[in-house]
Amino acid sequence: MTLTPYQTSLSAEDAAHFLRRTAFGATEARIRALTGRPAAEVAREALAFDQSLAPSNPFDPRTGATFGAAEQLNRAAWLYELIYGPHPLREKLALTWSNHFVIGTDKVKNLSALTGYLTVLRAHAATASFPQFALAVAQTPAMLRYLDNDQNRKGKPNENFSRELLELFTTGIGHYTEQDVHEGARALSGWTFTGGRGNKHYLEPQAFVATPRQHDDGRKTYLGQSGNFTPEDIVRMAASHPQTAVFVSRKLHRAFVSDVPDEAAVQGSAQTWQRTGGNVGAVLAELLSSQVFYASRSRIVRSPVEYAVAAVRILGQPELEPKAVVNLSQAAQRMGQQLLHPPSVKGWDGGREWINDSTLLLRIQLAAALTLGKTAPDLIRAPGDLALLGSERPAVAGALSGLNPRQRTYLSLISPEFQLA
Amino acid sequence: MTNRRDFLKLSALAVAATSGMPGFLARAATQAGGSKTLVVIQLTGGNDGLNTLIPYSNGAYYAARPNIAIPKKDVLTLSGDLGMHPSLKPLMPLWDAGTFAWIENVGYPNPNRSHFASMAIWHTADPAQAQAEGWIGRIADTIGDPFCASNIGTATPQALIARDFSLPSIASVDSFQLKLPGGLDDAFHQLLGVPRSGEAEYLVRATRQMMTNTARVQRNVQKYRAGAAYPDTPFAAQLRDTARLIAAGVGQRVLYLSLGSFDTHAGQRGEQDDLLATLAGGLAAFHADLEKQGLADDVIVMGFSEFGRRVAENDSAGTDHGKGSVMFALGQGVKGGVHGSSPDLEDLSEGDIKYRQDFRGVYAEALTKWLKLDARGILNGEFTGPAWVA
Repeated sequence: MTLTPYQTSLSAEDAAHFLRRTAFGATEARIRALTGRPAAEVAREALAFDQSLAPSNPFDPRTGATFGAAEQLNRAAWLYELIYGPHPLREKLALTWSNHFVIGTDKVKNLSALTGYLTVLRAHAATASFPQFALAVAQTPAMLRYLDNDQNRKGKPNENFSRELLELFTTGIGHYTEQDVHEGARALSGWTFTGGRGNKHYLEPQAFVATPRQHDDGRKTYLGQSGNFTPEDIVRMAASHPQTAVFVSRKLHRAFVSDVPDEAAVQGSAQTWQRTGGNVGAVLAELLSSQVFYASRSRIVRSPVEYAVAAVRILGQPELEPKAVVNLSQAAQRMGQQLLHPPSVKGWDGGREWINDSTLLLRIQLAAALTLGKTAPDLIRAPGDLALLGSERPAVAGALSGLNPRQRTYLSLISPEFQLA
Repeated sequence: MTNRRDFLKLSALAVAATSGMPGFLARAATQAGGSKTLVVIQLTGGNDGLNTLIPYSNGAYYAARPNIAIPKKDVLTLSGDLGMHPSLKPLMPLWDAGTFAWIENVGYPNPNRSHFASMAIWHTADPAQAQAEGWIGRIADTIGDPFCASNIGTATPQALIARDFSLPSIASVDSFQLKLPGGLDDAFHQLLGVPRSGEAEYLVRATRQMMTNTARVQRNVQKYRAGAAYPDTPFAAQLRDTARLIAAGVGQRVLYLSLGSFDTHAGQRGEQDDLLATLAGGLAAFHADLEKQGLADDVIVMGFSEFGRRVAENDSAGTDHGKGSVMFALGQGVKGGVHGSSPDLEDLSEGDIKYRQDFRGVYAEALTKWLKLDARGILNGEFTGPAWVA
C-alpha cells in the first residue's frame, strides 16, 4: 500500500462524505447503512459495479428527428442514468473520463459514435488496465473523428490526435518532444471508421476500421524507442509511460480528493498505478479507503451536473417528468457543463472555475425550481442536515432555524456547504 | 493611480472594515476613473492568420496551400500585397474609414504549440507561465475595483483572474439579477455570515461579490436602446450585451469575449470562413451601435488568437498548430492600417512563421495610451509595440 489506509470504521459523517464523493450524495437512510462499516469494504463494494442501467429510462435518442434533437435526448438519457442509475460511482467515473478522454458533439455528430464512446467509458470506468482502456477509446469512431485521426493517412499525417494523446491523455506536457508528435502521427495513420458520415446520417452506425493501405509502416522513433510501430504500439507506449501514472492519478485525485491535490498523495497513487500496470480499479480502491480521502472535506466544488444530480439524489430521487430532466440538462449547460460537449479538448478545468456571478445565479435558480417552484417535486421526507450539508451539527443550523422544510432545503442547496463535496 | 504598495495598505484597512471581504472588493469604485473602454476578443483554437490577412502577392503562400489558400480574386484588397479574407467584408467600411488596424506577425519567445499552454501565456502575459493571475486581473488589482473588467460569457478566462478573486462573468445581462423568494433575505444573509475557511469561504466571497455586481448592473442597464441590428448569432448577442453595459456606464474598463473554435485541422475553409463571418458581422453591428449611442470615441476593440497555424496546409485540407499570427483592432481611437511587417514565408521555423512583434508590446500600447495605466507594472517588464492607438 502506498497510501495510508483509513482504519477506523465509518462515522455517520464519514459515510456522508464517502457518498458525496462517490454517489453525488445520498439520503440519510443510505448514509446510515454505511455507518460503522470498515472503509476498505465500503470502497470495494462501491467499485464492484456491473454494467446494468437504470430501468425504464424514458429517453431514446434514436427518436430525435435531427442530430440536434438526438444529442439532446442522449444527454438527457445520461443525466437520467446519473440521477436514477444503480451505480452512481460508475457514472461518476464515466463523467470523469469524459473529461479526460475528451470528445465533443461540436464535431462528433453521430449517435452510434456517442453511445459507443459512453459504453467504453462505463466498461472501463474502474479499468484493470489503463493501456487497454486508452486503446479502446482511441478506436472509438467518436475519438477518431473528434481529433481527426480519421483523416490521418500514410504520407499525409494529421497531428491532432497524436499531440493530444501525449499532452492531455497520457504523459502531460513536458514529457515528449515535437518529434514524438510527428512520429506518433505517422504511426497512427490508417485508423479510421466506416459509416455515418454527413449531417443526415447521424443514425447510421459507425465502426472502427484499420486500413493497412493508409498506414505508414516505416521506422519511427517515439518516446525514446525506435521501430516499425503500429497505432497499437503508440497508444500502449504513451499509456504505459511512467509520467502517465502521475498525470492520470492527479486527475483521479482532483475528481475524488481535492480540487488542489496534494502532490505527495498523488505520487502515492502513481506508485500503486506503476506496480499494478495501470490498474485503475486498484488505485481507486486504495484511494477511496485512504486517510487522505477521509481527511479531505469540502475541497471539491461540485460541477453543474454534479450539483443537479446531487440535489435530486438527496431529495430521495423523486420521479421527475422527462421534460424536467431535459431542463436540468439545459441548466447544467448554462452553468458551463454540457454533457459530451466540453469547451475544448482539454475539458472542463473545474474547481473555482465553476463559480462566477452568472453560474451562482443559475445555481440559485435551479435550487428554487427544485424546492419552491410550482412544479417542484413533492417533499415526501425533507432531507436532513447530514444528507444536505454532510454534518449532523452544521454551523449554519442557526441561520436555518425557524424556516419551513422547503425553505430550509432551498437555502441549504444554495449554501457554500452544499456546493462543495 | 495607486501603486501596489499603497493598494496593499488600503486593502488591509478595507479587510478589517468589511469582515473578510478581500481588499479590492471593498474599495470604492471611484478609483476606476477614465471613460475609455477596451473590448478584448479572443479567437479560441488558433486562428489561421495567413488566411485572415492574406499575402496575396506572395507565391510562397499559394505554393504552401494548394487547396485552402484564398484565391486572389476573392481577397478583399487592402494594399498591393495584403488583403482580407472575403468573410471579413462587413469590416471593409471601417478599414476605409481608417478605424481598422491589423498588427502583423505577433507572437512570443519560445512558442508553444499546445493550445492550452499558449493560451495561458496570452492570458497571463507571461511566457514562462509562472504567474497565476491574468493580465486583466492585474489591471483590477491596480485599479482596485473588482468590477473594472468583466467577461461576457459563462466561463471566466484566466486573463480575468485577479490576485484574490476572479472578475465577473456575465452570461446575459437580462438574467444578471438575484431574486430571492420573499421572506428569505435575512436567513440568506445569516447563512452567509457564518464563519468559514477554505473553499467555503471562497464561495461566500464569490456570492457577496455577485450580489454587489448584479445590483450595480441592474441599476443602470435600462438606459440602453439598441442602435443597430445585430446578426442572429450568440457572439453578436454577447456584443450587444457588451454595448449595453458600456452604454449603461456601469464602470467596466475592460470587457472580454470569446469566439471559437478556430482549431481547423481538417476542412479549414468551411469552418474558418463561417467563424470569420460571425466575427465580422458582429463587430460591424457593434461599431454601428456604438456610433448611434455616441460612444464610438470611447471604445476600442483588440482581437487575438493563441497562435496561428502551420504555413503549409496538411493533407486534410486543414492546418496544424503553428506559431505567430495577426492581431486586429478597431474603433475611432485606433490608427487604421497595417502595423508591422509581414512574415517571411521562405524563412520558417519548423514550418512556422518567425514572429517579430511580442504580443506584450501590443498590450502595452492599449494599457498606456488607451487605458492610461502603468503597463510595466501589469506586464512585469518594458514592452513596446506599434503605435496602433491613435
